[in-house]
Amino acid sequence: MNDEKAGSLKPSTLSSEGFLGSDARPFEEIIADDKRTLDRLGISALRMAAALESVYRRARDNLGAAVDLGSGRRAVFHESMGRIPSPLGGGLFEKGEAVVTDAQGNELLRITALSIHLVREHGFFQGRGAHFRIDPEKAAEVLGPARP
Amino acid sequence: MSTTITINGKKTDLAAQSGPLLFALARRNIYLPTACGGRGLCGLCKIKVLSGACPVNDIEKKKLKPEEIADGMRLSCQVPVADDLSVLIPERLLSARRYRGIVLEKKLLTYDIAGLTIGLIEPETISFAAGRYIQVESRAYDGREGVTRAYSLASPPHENKRVEIMVRKVPNGACSVWIFDHVKEGDEIMLSGPFGEFGLSDAKRPAVFIAGGSGMAPFWSMLRHMQKTNAARPVTYFFGARTQRDLFLVDALRALQRQNGWLTFVPALSDEPADSDWSGERGLITDVVARHFPDTSDHEAYLCGAPGMIDASVKILARGGMPLDRIYYDKFA
Repeated sequence: MNDEKAGSLKPSTLSSEGFLGSDARPFEEIIADDKRTLDRLGISALRMAAALESVYRRARDNLGAAVDLGSGRRAVFHESMGRIPSPLGGGLFEKGEAVVTDAQGNELLRITALSIHLVREHGFFQGRGAHFRIDPEKAAEVLGPARP
Repeated sequence: MSTTITINGKKTDLAAQSGPLLFALARRNIYLPTACGGRGLCGLCKIKVLSGACPVNDIEKKKLKPEEIADGMRLSCQVPVADDLSVLIPERLLSARRYRGIVLEKKLLTYDIAGLTIGLIEPETISFAAGRYIQVESRAYDGREGVTRAYSLASPPHENKRVEIMVRKVPNGACSVWIFDHVKEGDEIMLSGPFGEFGLSDAKRPAVFIAGGSGMAPFWSMLRHMQKTNAARPVTYFFGARTQRDLFLVDALRALQRQNGWLTFVPALSDEPADSDWSGERGLITDVVARHFPDTSDHEAYLCGAPGMIDASVKILARGGMPLDRIYYDKFA
């Protein structure tokens, strides 16, 4: 990874918290570790991105009303104005997030258009501690990407 | 060595400037929009370079279409100022300035939307068309970097010594949290703008405005400006919210409606408890629009809000017969 890309992942005017969270691992190692998790689960990054996008779209199109995902899980879209550029290139992505909760209202996943792009195009789930990190194991458990 | 840049045919001496063109222009008080701080990621700072630029780099090849590159478009953040340059910058961007202002008033409009009134110190006045946006520069706080974020101007153009914006608090949002939790009345604040192309057309057709949340801002500007300039034109303004606690400016808009026969204001709630005292419209804002205007073929529409609301509104309006080129919207590029 070149210095410019590495800089874009750190806190900057693009994202005040950056995309690496408190993760001290190099970018390539973060991707490799998450890839190993995906391989163990038998899921590709593309398939995971499709599952994330399916939930994101359903919530987004429901304009703030909850979407029933079954098993007591719900997804609600929280609107936000504006768009954010991908730190790794690839365009501008609308803001707003689909938040998936369990039957008790505990937050399980937080999905954004940019997160989906980073997973799909770069296999990058973001660093540990990053606000929008998608833990692949947790996402697989919540979304069941066998049925995206 | 002195470098010269010719902007729209007029020469400007940049005096031994170096670094990207985007920042060289800013030092000459020409502010191009940017959402990535000059990293070549957002593509908003593109302008036409007629001569003097280095070859297009790989970052630009990813952001610009081949036909744009063939036409001389460049990302100004990726063009180093090394030789004399000649560029074309749209006139509307030349009016953008960086402003130092002071927060005159900060008030909660709802539990998660704040209204900010900023008096302009330097320069003292701003010229803009209703519908445009400005960029606010947040300061670093709590270990977070300062960022630049766009907000529609809510004040009308004739009030040119101050600007109003409406800010929805986004959990973990760098700029909105800064405005909500750190900015106080009396604080200095830096802005740039105006930017954007969203605004009323010159047509006299009846208009449908549709907004939700902080998407209220440009319409609050437009409606007051229409009143001020006697721009009589039938307007039906649909404002969608979930519950009554998400509504704001309702009394002011109803007063504006009473004063102006051309305005009809229709607030609608999608998630209001059935047994509440709300007697207005209920349902998704798109369904309410469809009920009021099953035939939209004679109207034009203006939309401001989250992308999901805009996409759904475009579908409903098109289904009613409105041509797509008469639907104007601002997703906040």
